[in-house]
Amino acid sequence: MNRAIFRAMMKQNGKKIAKLSTGIILYEGLLTWVYPVISENPAITKIAEDIPSAVKTVFGVSEEARVDTFEAFISGQFFARIWAMLMVLYNVESANELLAQMVDDGSLAFLLSTPVSRDEFLSTQALVLLSGNAVLVLSTLLGLYGGTSRFEISINRWRYFLFGILGFTFYSLIGAYSLFFSAWFAQRDMALTFAAGLTLAFYALDVAGGLSDKLSWVRQLSLFQCYQPQEVLEGTSSPAKKIIGLTVGTIILLRLGIYAFNKKDLAI
Amino acid sequence: MLEVNELTKIYREGRGVKKLSFQVDVGTAFGFLGPNGAGKTTTIRVLMGFMQPNHGSASICGLDCWEDRTELKRLIGYLPGELHFMEQLTGEEFLDLIEGMHGESRVIHKNRKTLLASLDLYPRQLIRKMSKGMKQKLGIIAALMLDSPVLILDEPTSGLDPLMQKTFIELILEEKKKGKTIFMSSHQFSEIERTCEQVGIIREGELLAVQDITLLKQKEHQTFEVEVEGEEDAQILRESGLFLNPLEDFKFTILVSGEQDELWKTLAQVHIKRFKQGSLELEEAFMQFYRSS
Repeated sequence: MNRAIFRAMMKQNGKKIAKLSTGIILYEGLLTWVYPVISENPAITKIAEDIPSAVKTVFGVSEEARVDTFEAFISGQFFARIWAMLMVLYNVESANELLAQMVDDGSLAFLLSTPVSRDEFLSTQALVLLSGNAVLVLSTLLGLYGGTSRFEISINRWRYFLFGILGFTFYSLIGAYSLFFSAWFAQRDMALTFAAGLTLAFYALDVAGGLSDKLSWVRQLSLFQCYQPQEVLEGTSSPAKKIIGLTVGTIILLRLGIYAFNKKDLAI
Repeated sequence: MLEVNELTKIYREGRGVKKLSFQVDVGTAFGFLGPNGAGKTTTIRVLMGFMQPNHGSASICGLDCWEDRTELKRLIGYLPGELHFMEQLTGEEFLDLIEGMHGESRVIHKNRKTLLASLDLYPRQLIRKMSKGMKQKLGIIAALMLDSPVLILDEPTSGLDPLMQKTFIELILEEKKKGKTIFMSSHQFSEIERTCEQVGIIREGELLAVQDITLLKQKEHQTFEVEVEGEEDAQILRESGLFLNPLEDFKFTILVSGEQDELWKTLAQVHIKRFKQGSLELEEAFMQFYRSS
């Protein structure tokens, strides 16, 4: 890790991370504010129960899960889709900006003209990406702890913390393969197409698998199989193995990215 | 010091450089000239370890430019041809970054201050708000502040106004006095002429020739465009022994190397309708010289 690069890159990415964190905290504030009103209205619970299972799948609510708990509410309204989308966008875009875009626009030339190896440079960029993830996950947890405590919603904080770790490792893996594509192609458009395309493919498989029993097997092919917020928050599934698997996958992908970057001809 | 041996680097689309061989001795400056797309930047990319050669080798101070690229960077101050920065940083933050990546030192910090004053750059401005000239100055400062024994500069004065070009040449001459080895690509003969001992011409990926700049200066070439009144005058010119290139029936380009005595003696005998002094493209002049020698 190179401290000078880390400082400069965090400054470059700091505003984006701060804006996203603020947005997340405000949205969580809104959700925790409206939840007590919704939960006390029996009509809404009835509507939720009547939603067809396919629609529940599309909105990230698992079929067997209860729909009248805060966990079901926060998963469906936030973690399964909006938060997922924000975290995916942050990782795919930032991984691209941290490498492929710098090759494309030539701003990497100055940095690679210094006695900092490509290994060290890319490791630092990976750390910048993961630090951003950590800040976003931490903001999400703090926003949620703050909101639930302010509006007196009872939650199991430990489960939310575990979910935070799962979220961090899950989106770090997406960031890692985005960074790998960045290093492999060293070209903004190609790297972005592959990273976004793969993520979209995983998402489509997850949704398609949930729509019908006949297609349920395709869900196993999706990375999103590792990311089931409601189950983790309700304590019906332990995320430990997934966290380990995702961490190992992230490390392998980052090593592969560094290997590819070391061999790459850079037209900068 | 800097040695390029049979270097070949071809891009997928077929462009690149073929079998380049030259060397630059310690403490000397080498000017690398050629039109756009000739292969100057490709050569520099190989020297900087950004690209691996297909064949041949490039080394600086005995270190291979690809294999030992990280270690090599301790010895090099580099200015890219196309300047792109991390635009959200200020000039000062960018210089801090480069300084930090080189392992901060007092010498670098002192040089930085001196260069900022010499080039009259206010570094606390955001880079994205800087003009092209200001960015060029920032790049030059980043390259020169390191006090590296080798300087690799890709078209260093593009974007600078004439006054700043002069300041830059003075800075380069200062660096030369300190014994630096300089490899500089340029379109402008004037800066190469004032700073380099040797010049190499590259065209379509091939090194046409390498020549001492002092020899070029001694045989400075000039062209004159002359239009005479009639056939009689044209005949006098044709028989004069001057190096003529006919443009129309009574219109010629005359190429003169060295002394102009013969030219003026001949022109005194003819009726001139129009006379224009032309400038010879460096590459052309160089090639003329190369052929004649």
